[in-house]
Amino acid sequence: MQPLIDGLIFIVDDDASVREALAWLLRSRRLESEHFASAEAFELRLAEGPLPDQPLCLLLDVRMPGTSGLVLFDRLAERGLLDAMPVIFLTGHADVPTAVDAVKRGAFDFCEKPFSDNALVDRIEQALGASLRALEVRRVRRSLAGRVAELTDRERDVMRLVVEGLPNKLIADQLAISVRTVEVHRARVFDKMEVKSAVELANRLRDL
Amino acid sequence: MEEALAVAPPRWALSAFARLRSLWQRWFLWLILAVLVSALLVTVVWLAGRHEVEQVQANLDRDTADAVSDLRIGLQRNAQSLRATQASGLDRTHWPDAAASLLREHREWLRLEWRDAALRPLEAVNTPYRMRLIADESRGADQSDVGLACAAARKLGAPAYSPSHYVPILGGGGVEVMELCVPIDAGGFLVASYSLRDTLIELVGPTLTRGQEVAFTEADGTRLVALGTSRRTGTRVFTSQQLIDLPGAALMLRVDGWRAAPDLFPNVLTALVTAISIALVSVLVLLARDTRRRLRAERDLADALAFRKAMEDSVITGLRARDLQGRITYVNPAFCEMVGFSPEELMAGSGEDIEAPYWPTELAHEYQQRQARRLAGGMPPREGFESVFMRKDGTRFPVLIFEAPLINAHRVQTGWMSAFIDISEQRRIEELSRASQERLQASARLATVGEMASLLSHELTQPLAAIASYATGSLNMLGPHAKGEQAEVAMAVRRIAEQADRAGQVIRSVHDFVRRRDRTREAVAPQALIDAVLPLVRLQARKLGVSIEVALEDRLPPAVCDRTLVEQVLLNLARNAMQAMDTAEHVGERVLRLRVSRVVAVGGPGAEDARRWLEFSVADLGCGISEEVAGRLFTPFFTTRADGMGLGLSLCRTVVEQHGGVLVFEPNRPRGTVFRFTLPST
Repeated sequence: MQPLIDGLIFIVDDDASVREALAWLLRSRRLESEHFASAEAFELRLAEGPLPDQPLCLLLDVRMPGTSGLVLFDRLAERGLLDAMPVIFLTGHADVPTAVDAVKRGAFDFCEKPFSDNALVDRIEQALGASLRALEVRRVRRSLAGRVAELTDRERDVMRLVVEGLPNKLIADQLAISVRTVEVHRARVFDKMEVKSAVELANRLRDL
Repeated sequence: MEEALAVAPPRWALSAFARLRSLWQRWFLWLILAVLVSALLVTVVWLAGRHEVEQVQANLDRDTADAVSDLRIGLQRNAQSLRATQASGLDRTHWPDAAASLLREHREWLRLEWRDAALRPLEAVNTPYRMRLIADESRGADQSDVGLACAAARKLGAPAYSPSHYVPILGGGGVEVMELCVPIDAGGFLVASYSLRDTLIELVGPTLTRGQEVAFTEADGTRLVALGTSRRTGTRVFTSQQLIDLPGAALMLRVDGWRAAPDLFPNVLTALVTAISIALVSVLVLLARDTRRRLRAERDLADALAFRKAMEDSVITGLRARDLQGRITYVNPAFCEMVGFSPEELMAGSGEDIEAPYWPTELAHEYQQRQARRLAGGMPPREGFESVFMRKDGTRFPVLIFEAPLINAHRVQTGWMSAFIDISEQRRIEELSRASQERLQASARLATVGEMASLLSHELTQPLAAIASYATGSLNMLGPHAKGEQAEVAMAVRRIAEQADRAGQVIRSVHDFVRRRDRTREAVAPQALIDAVLPLVRLQARKLGVSIEVALEDRLPPAVCDRTLVEQVLLNLARNAMQAMDTAEHVGERVLRLRVSRVVAVGGPGAEDARRWLEFSVADLGCGISEEVAGRLFTPFFTTRADGMGLGLSLCRTVVEQHGGVLVFEPNRPRGTVFRFTLPST
């Protein structure tokens, strides 16, 4: 059984048996997971290095000794990590209102213990999908930004005016260069940005 | 009514008048006494003086009478002596010699004459002691004074005298002369001329003239001759006059005696009276002083008594004294007010076998036994005992009684003294707080059950979640198309998953009990929450000597909460705080601070929240919480107290978190611990 998405799931729960059971469940669905016994341990992992460049999801227990799940969630939200790493809360019965509140503030979902497991895994896969999309967007942006960075200053000026929709002649007038030179620059921009028309170029840049 | 008010003198005037009157009454008797004593003194002194004067006067009168009698006898003798010159018959040659010798003997006579019946002088002899005063030619038969005397003598046939007459002396002056005419047998007369002055000298004698003036005066008081000491100034004059009735003439003998003005103590009597008077006055003064001292002592005693009385009247403790027979001898107003009987009613019919009127009828027998025990000498408990009394209207009320033997100044027990405190109000408050405590305890039990359920469900969910995960994972691995034994295993694993799910359903339904409480939320003013627990907290605080400070911010919004549960949380925290201060090693002040304030954030930093929150804090000055304890503080069934269940704080946290708040604690400065929890507000 092949996983739909090659993602990584972080589990933060103080109960070792729950962590291990979840990991086993995820493995049965060909999903990879890493688990942490506390919010502090997870934060330590975040501090060690950047997140791997793959779809991510965080299963977070609400009630833990030390830093609670909610506090950790708030910190992640502050760092803007929620897009790349959607959070699913694991809650006991008592914490349901809290969890609902957290969802309102940007959590992906919450799941009440004991969970109906495959439903949870389905939800996790959806979260990973969301993460993948966010990853995709980020990747596109990153490559676009890399290509823009390759342009020379003059080429960038020409690109700006092309995107504004000016004809070559006017661009030449504005930049005080010959129409011929504009045409050369324009062709090189199209080449470097891997587009065939000015419209396509404008669409690309809108993503950035 | 108003008219009367208008007419009545002002209050101050009345009191001033009353004071004046009492002052007047007090001093009036003393004034009268002083006046009487001085009047008596004056009278006695005056009487003594008068007595003395009378005595002097009487002495003078007696002396004068003696002198008059001497004078009369002398004059009579002289007259006899004169007549004796004629006894041997008349002889003109010898008579002058006899007369001359007679004159030598009687210096009071100036001249002797022998006259015939027609009063013609036959012979005349003058006194040898004086110059001739009387001229012979002036003594003819017609000499009027001689004539008057002789006429009286002839008429009487006895010697007679003439009124005095003045015989001038040549060269000024003169002598008062009185004639004595003695008739003789042969017819004719012997006439002797008395010098009144010499008569006084010779006949009255020198004793009378010492210190006194002796004088002959006429009947009308005209002084003829005077003899003796002249009058001294500044003296008092005593006068005595006595008539010397001589035949043919009347003379007055006047004696003027004088004495110095009476002294302050003219004599022993006065001195004695004065001394006694002084003694009397002194005694009076001493008596007055003694009386004043007595009055002061009386006033002090009255003040002390009044103070004692005021004290007994103003205490709120009922006081009652009984004698050894059980009769009530004294009750104070507080006791009367307590039982509603008047002192007379209480002190009247209560005897040895009679019930006191305030004994409830149903308990009278028991009380009688108690009284008998007391009278037999049984000592009551020192800490007092509780009993039930009956008011006059029949209502019963509990009292606390302290009884002690009443021992008088001679260390003899004369009865029993009892103090009563009406504890019905105290009882009512105790009942009230017991009721509210029971209510809270009931809700605490309920909350504890809820907490247990929540706890169990939480603890069971974890393994169930693990079981379900393993089961599902296993099924995933076995895959949907398992065959043979694998299919049976898959079936068994599916059963495991189903049972885990069922257990989860059971837990969920139990947990609904807790969740249902969410619906009882209401908006409650923070003050009301604090007020609800404060009486119970105070009860314990008083026991532990803790003072309570409550501080609420102004205009706090109401909290949205389950009132009973939050009260329970507050009570739990407050009790923990007070117990933290109630340790042997804890010295210094014991203060419990309850605060309520507004906060915007709940939980950690950065957790900005659109909702508004209220923060309740309970701070103590106790020993604080050690690191080791702090880690397990909220763990269920963890406790530091021997009798604790270990659910208090865990329950508190559950309650607060059910409300969406957080419960945290931190060290208090300078010592102790602060517990804070938040609740949403409207």
